[in-house]
Amino acid sequence: MKTLIKIKPKEYKVGEVVKIDFMAMHPMETGMRKNKDTGEIIPAQYINEVNFMFNDQLITKMVIWESLSVNPLFSISFKVPGEGTLKVIAKDNKGQSVETTQQITPKG
Amino acid sequence: MRNLSISAALICLALLSNANAEEKMSMSDADKAMYAEMLENNPADMDVAEGEQLFSGMTTLDAYSKMLGVKEKDLPAYISGFPRYVDAAKKVVTLSQTIQMAAADAGKTVPKLESKEMLKMTAYVKSLANGKKTSIDVKANAQMKEMMKLGQEVFEERRGGRGLSCNSCHSPDIIGQRLRMQPLPDLGVNRAAGTWPAYRMTKSETTLLDKRFQQCMDNALLAKIPLGSREMVGLEVYVTNKTKGNEIQIPGLKR
Amino acid sequence: MERRSFLKSFGAVAAVCSVGLPQIASADEAKKVVGPNEMSYDNAVAAITGGKPVTPSAKVVVSAPEIAENGAVVPVKVTVESPMTSKDYVKAIHVLASKNSNVRCANIYLTPANGEAYFGTRVKLGGTQDVVAIVEMSDGTFLSAKQNVKVTIGGCG
Repeated sequence: MKTLIKIKPKEYKVGEVVKIDFMAMHPMETGMRKNKDTGEIIPAQYINEVNFMFNDQLITKMVIWESLSVNPLFSISFKVPGEGTLKVIAKDNKGQSVETTQQITPKG
Repeated sequence: MRNLSISAALICLALLSNANAEEKMSMSDADKAMYAEMLENNPADMDVAEGEQLFSGMTTLDAYSKMLGVKEKDLPAYISGFPRYVDAAKKVVTLSQTIQMAAADAGKTVPKLESKEMLKMTAYVKSLANGKKTSIDVKANAQMKEMMKLGQEVFEERRGGRGLSCNSCHSPDIIGQRLRMQPLPDLGVNRAAGTWPAYRMTKSETTLLDKRFQQCMDNALLAKIPLGSREMVGLEVYVTNKTKGNEIQIPGLKR
Repeated sequence: MERRSFLKSFGAVAAVCSVGLPQIASADEAKKVVGPNEMSYDNAVAAITGGKPVTPSAKVVVSAPEIAENGAVVPVKVTVESPMTSKDYVKAIHVLASKNSNVRCANIYLTPANGEAYFGTRVKLGGTQDVVAIVEMSDGTFLSAKQNVKVTIGGCG
């Protein structure tokens, strides 16, 4: 599972509220689509949990369902408390899991 | 008299509801703005990032520039002029084809034009020219003139059982007419070539311009012109020229 | 002869339209496909609120396009007016698609560390329907807002 974290704006100060955009390359299969060649139902495979942590403290917990688009986006706000490590852990219903980290370095 | 006014009112109502129906078939500017905002979180960004890794695992920008006969600092401007005549190839080539040449030069496995690796690397290399304007020069030399002419022929040639050509849906005089509710785009104004490779929401995947041409041919029940063929390169030259001067923004985002 | 030329011109139109006629997708018309997590709107709301009342509120804003040209990728943003302090904050934003087979899209559990109550994503909509946000406040009350999204099907694949 490829992932990407973007912080907006790119430069921010302590106390500023920024946006954290987390994207993952994931098929988000609903379990309702058929394989066009074989006619068999493609089993559901979707991200079902995303957790945003800052310095190992949980900021936001997400329970996710198959209705999100393929290669989904998860965007939240975050009030920058200072320097630290942002960690996003995404899991899918098939047990795949990926951890993505991003340094938070406020200017001023 | 009363009847008359009632029927007049009815007609007005009918006209009004028609106008409403027409209006509500299309996205409003606010709707479009929401989609435009999605460009900031384009899933294809991940493909471009991977393309950079693949490319740097294969060759360097220095070697790539040398192969193309340009200084590395001039590479973005040079990339904005594709498809173009490349000395090392002795013909007009697409950006993807130069990546194949670079792979061969480096003694690496040459990625197929259809491959995912090629798509990602092409998206990355073209993204180096982001912010530049498409600068294709179809009069640069005899080869470009020839490919432009061939491209126009391919664009206008009616093919298949239904006798459709690219021009059937993309001729300038029918721009804005609707095909299955979608307004037919002006390939020139719609920044067609400046924004490909692009993420296609319909397919939930990133696609190259020439592969998009193939998908279009598929939909029109036409035999697909092979990627890398003279005809396909010519078609890319012709369509890219319609968008000359448009800003390059890779990856694009398409419906 | 006249018939022939009529057929000919009709054929040309039919050729261009061969990919199908314009239509507005409607969940009522569409054959209902049942997914593995099927859940109705009422059941999903009950599961979230435990039967507590939900009040539509202008404090909650759901932004989604009124017309989506592509049901597979519909941008959705939810914002809630809240100071986001430890005493008064938004505990959860639940995003539902009222007519999907599984109406649940995302359950977002926020904390005061978020600074602002906001969630943005992209959803798949199986047809024209409401995108609904049910919001749980820290005092245990539930607010809601919705936006109708008309999903059109069209264009060239």
